[in-house]
Amino acid sequence: MAEQAPLAVFAGSPLLYILIPLLPFLGFLINGLLNRRLSGTVAGLIGSATVLGSFLISLTLFLRFLGNPVPYTVHLFEWINVGSLRIPFSYQIDQLSLIMLLLVTGVGFLIHVYSIGYMHHDANVGKFFSFLNLFVFSMLVLVLGSNYVILFIGWEGVGLCSYLLIGFWNKNHNYNNAAKKAFIINRIGDLGFLLGIFLIYFTFDTVQYGEVFQKASQLQVGAGVVTAITLLLFVGAMGKSAQLPLYTWLPDAMAGPTPVSALIHAATMVTAGIYMVLRSNVLYTLAPDTLNVVAWIGALTALFAATIGLAQNDIKKVLAYSTVSQLGYMFLALGVMGYSSSLFHVLTHAFFKALMFLGAGSVIHAMSNEQDIRRMGGLRKALPITFLTFLIGCIAISGIPPFSGFFSKDEILAHAYEHNKVLWGIGLLTAFLTAFYMFRLLFLTFFGEFRGTEEQKHHLHESPASMTLPLIILAVLAAIGGFMNAPLVLGRGYLADFLAPLFTYSRQINPEAFGGEIDHATEYMLIGLSVAAGVLGIVLAYVLYVAKRTRPVEEEAQRGAFEKLVYHKYYVDELYDALFVKPSMFLSRTLHDFVEKRVVDGAVTGVGRGVMGSSQLLRNLQTGKVETYLLLMVLGIVVVLALNFIRL
Amino acid sequence: MLSIILLSVSGLANLFLGFNRSNRLILPFVLLVLAAVLGVTVSGIDTHGALAVWNQSPYFTGMLTFDRYAQVFTGVMVLTTLLLLPFSQKYVRDGNANLAEYYSILLFSLVGGIMMVSYNNLLIFFLGVETLSIAMYVLAGSDKSNLRSNEAALKYFLMGSFTTGILLFGIALLYGATGTFDLAQMGNAVRAIPAADAGLRPMMHIGLLLMLIGVGFKISAAPFHFWTPDVYEGTPTLFTGYMSTVVKTAGVAGFFKLLFVAFGGETIEFWLPTLTAMLVLTLFIGNVGAVAQTNAKRMLAYSSISHAGYLLLALVALQSGRLSVNAIFFYSLAYSVATVAAFAVLKLVHDQRERDDYDGLNGLARTNPLLAFVMTVAMLSLAGIPLTGGFFGKFYLFSAAAQEGHIGLVIFAVVMSAVGIFYYLRPIMAMYMKPAAEGSDAPVFVGGFQSAVLVLLVALTVLLGVWPGVVEGMF
Amino acid sequence: MLLATTATYQPADYLPILIQLGLALAFVAFSMVVSHLVGPKRHSKVKDSSFECGIESVGNARTPISVKYFLTAILFVLFDVEVIFMYPWAVNFRELGTTGFVEMLLFMGLLLAGFYYIIKKGILKWQN
Repeated sequence: MAEQAPLAVFAGSPLLYILIPLLPFLGFLINGLLNRRLSGTVAGLIGSATVLGSFLISLTLFLRFLGNPVPYTVHLFEWINVGSLRIPFSYQIDQLSLIMLLLVTGVGFLIHVYSIGYMHHDANVGKFFSFLNLFVFSMLVLVLGSNYVILFIGWEGVGLCSYLLIGFWNKNHNYNNAAKKAFIINRIGDLGFLLGIFLIYFTFDTVQYGEVFQKASQLQVGAGVVTAITLLLFVGAMGKSAQLPLYTWLPDAMAGPTPVSALIHAATMVTAGIYMVLRSNVLYTLAPDTLNVVAWIGALTALFAATIGLAQNDIKKVLAYSTVSQLGYMFLALGVMGYSSSLFHVLTHAFFKALMFLGAGSVIHAMSNEQDIRRMGGLRKALPITFLTFLIGCIAISGIPPFSGFFSKDEILAHAYEHNKVLWGIGLLTAFLTAFYMFRLLFLTFFGEFRGTEEQKHHLHESPASMTLPLIILAVLAAIGGFMNAPLVLGRGYLADFLAPLFTYSRQINPEAFGGEIDHATEYMLIGLSVAAGVLGIVLAYVLYVAKRTRPVEEEAQRGAFEKLVYHKYYVDELYDALFVKPSMFLSRTLHDFVEKRVVDGAVTGVGRGVMGSSQLLRNLQTGKVETYLLLMVLGIVVVLALNFIRL
Repeated sequence: MLSIILLSVSGLANLFLGFNRSNRLILPFVLLVLAAVLGVTVSGIDTHGALAVWNQSPYFTGMLTFDRYAQVFTGVMVLTTLLLLPFSQKYVRDGNANLAEYYSILLFSLVGGIMMVSYNNLLIFFLGVETLSIAMYVLAGSDKSNLRSNEAALKYFLMGSFTTGILLFGIALLYGATGTFDLAQMGNAVRAIPAADAGLRPMMHIGLLLMLIGVGFKISAAPFHFWTPDVYEGTPTLFTGYMSTVVKTAGVAGFFKLLFVAFGGETIEFWLPTLTAMLVLTLFIGNVGAVAQTNAKRMLAYSSISHAGYLLLALVALQSGRLSVNAIFFYSLAYSVATVAAFAVLKLVHDQRERDDYDGLNGLARTNPLLAFVMTVAMLSLAGIPLTGGFFGKFYLFSAAAQEGHIGLVIFAVVMSAVGIFYYLRPIMAMYMKPAAEGSDAPVFVGGFQSAVLVLLVALTVLLGVWPGVVEGMF
Repeated sequence: MLLATTATYQPADYLPILIQLGLALAFVAFSMVVSHLVGPKRHSKVKDSSFECGIESVGNARTPISVKYFLTAILFVLFDVEVIFMYPWAVNFRELGTTGFVEMLLFMGLLLAGFYYIIKKGILKWQN
């Protein structure tokens, strides 16, 4: 097995590297300390400027790296040094961290700019931007760190910021509960992650990426300890990246301001789990069993969330479930060892999902905080820019060429096809469902006649430039971003080539697992099928929601209206209805009402109840009587002595 | 040694200061003394020597040694007391008649604590335990007109004296088995006893277990924790804070020293299973018991039980040497700072609102943003959230245990610390999300000096969480 | 040193002490029981009634006693016992030399300080 040389250590001044996370942190301090004294716009400008600074630095580093693509670490200071536990505070600069840096700061910057317009009316803009900056800071620490402990610090930091931002409007009790739920569910995942780190430390005696991977490459493929480590790490990823069964916090997290949903719950934080798995790809490659688990959980999440997305009527909820579903896609890609495809999808998804969340924000802004798509309709005339950009986002996520989502999704499906036909089938079905519900959303929101109140109608307006500009930039990226990594039959995969060095270790360890190249005929076939699935979904949505003007039923008039709808339909409609809509609606409702509410939530609350119950039991022991206490203590002493001497 | 002398003498001097008509001088004097002791202690720490220098600068024919271990833990305890006492200003304002006595008793109890970490001879250890405990019995009942305080003192005294007997019995048996009170000699004697010895070995074994039980009571490890919630609740808040920090640090550090010097190596088998069982039980009862509490002080009592459980991890991982010593040090420092912050806020709130259940904290974020923030940071640190000192405390403890191969224990501890999130979030929820009750929504009075100390506490917690290396090199 | 001598003992070697203890207890019990059995017993109403003289007893015997009694008593014991330290010092006065003298001065100083504290605190004042 070839030894990989340890990473070079950067010798120059680390100032530039320190500045990347430091700038947003400064923004956090300024905005946090001068919260009340700064006007909203100034706070926004400070927040945006600092992130822009980080972005520019990252870009310079990236360009410098392109000239000489050798990964290196930047040693900042000795952080922890106790006995055999040595953890330096250092950065790892390589393909993965650079791309994540660009993503976080780039998309982050756009969202900051957008927030200046969006949060204009809010009383606590300074607080908002300070939290947002703190979030960017944590995320940068997360991707820059060169060991698992720094990763974990950043990981918890983003979790905390997410908690703060979801509960930003803390006067609403439900929002607070959503924040708490996000925090606690994330902590469950973090437990797994933390245990994984301890197991890594126990096994390899270090937590530095480079050293861990080097030592790991000496192990056998399928070694039990690596499987355990990777599974534990994956539990962490399940929490942060909202996979079954720990995904329930993400839809609830939509309680936060919309830019937060865009930044945290679509573009950056939730991809932390993917980043972590990619970072540990050597370990995962060593554990095929874990990869299988990852792939299946990813695929099932993708399908599960997509079906729930079908019946949602809250514009942000639809996007939230679609995010969960797309994250499932990314894990599917990881599970079938399409590592670079997964990162590719992270990127394209960041573009179009941020775009759509911001577009949704623009709609909500125009509709005076209405989020129910049943109250919308016909908005394309009032909000032309929002409509166009949103349309681009929808096309991209539906996987229609040549928009970005097509390329990344197609690559994932190709990997899945090679690996396991069932997984591929699930992926394809999900693609169909995705196209359907995204366009359902689009049609209901922007087409047809306006269904809101008169007051809202008067108020309708396109958003200010600070909001539309980021939309346009993101739309351009969502449209053309896919050419970063065109499939082999259509040209060259620049991104894949660029990322390849990250996976050389994995390739050495387990070359067979990566699979060979698919022949062109199969690839064309796969492309054709995935595009067909997308188109079918769009057409179906068009027929149902534009041609037939189907409207989602109101909550209160559920049964009656539903039956009436069926009555008025053509045979084709009924067929569609019976074949696709009704079963999927039923499935969707069942999943949402029963599986999600009862089973998943039930399991989580069940554990909570169990703890509460035992706590009450313990309380009963605490009688307040000294006699009882002494008796129990003496019993304790007797037990201690008995246990120690019974075997003597 | 200088710290002990300074504390004792100024404790006496303080008694006479109490005769002064105005009691304004007492608190500044005590704070000054503590600051001086802290300075003397910290400047005396020699960070260069090897770790296991248990016999450095011996006093009284080697019964006390002021090596780095003793100095560092003395520093932690003195710092904790120094940070805690500014919040006693209400006693001064109220013109409490026995003010000087309380402070003096506190100083004397600190002497006991220092003896517990600098002993080299079990007699001194016992003397330290008693000096500390008797002082605590008195302080627990210091709110004489409050029935609950009296009850707490009586309970603590009854159960405490019961376990003192057990502790003493343990020491006597150890003496019987080894013929010495001196730690190092005891270690040699223990190793010299043949494994097949049917007489001395069980005697030593029982002696050690009885000591384990005695110390377990003092640090409130299960199943000897029953006194904790009741006593903590009844004791005046300030002294509860003292009990859950200084007493715990002294107990754990002192007992670690005994195990490390005299019962390390082969003899681990004598105590490891029992200690492990106690640890698991303690973590479970501490964390699970805290969930159903509605009183912040009781919750903190259970939380302090659980923290004793975490600290026991370091004892279990004793063979990792430096790693576990550092873990105890860092954890007790981070835990003490956070606990002091929590009790300080509780004390200030209690002074004005006269209650210490969660609802007493309602709306604090609105009336006193600083107090709410301090409390939040303290809770997060106790819960072990990164970027606070508590995280690294736990991290060190867990890595020490993981390195010694106690993976199962670490998993259990991590799961239990997740349960912790449940109850540590509750005060935060109360402060930020519930409105204050009618009539009690006036801002809580916080003095300027107290604010400064609160800020310092937060700064320390965050500093330890961001740059744990700042106190590195102690071990 | 101690170790060398004690290590040769087994717990069983302490058996004589146990026997002695048992015998001592047994003797006490024996003499009490025997005197009870052997001694003459004469009962009469007057003899069995509790001894009274003068006024009849009123109320509970467990009346609260002023805490001052305890304080005074405890303080007496405290100072009384402290004096015991003087004896070994006096015996070894020559050997301990100046250091011993200074130490004893310190000790007595502390004791006096305590005494002063008590007086100043008003604990010995009986009136209030």
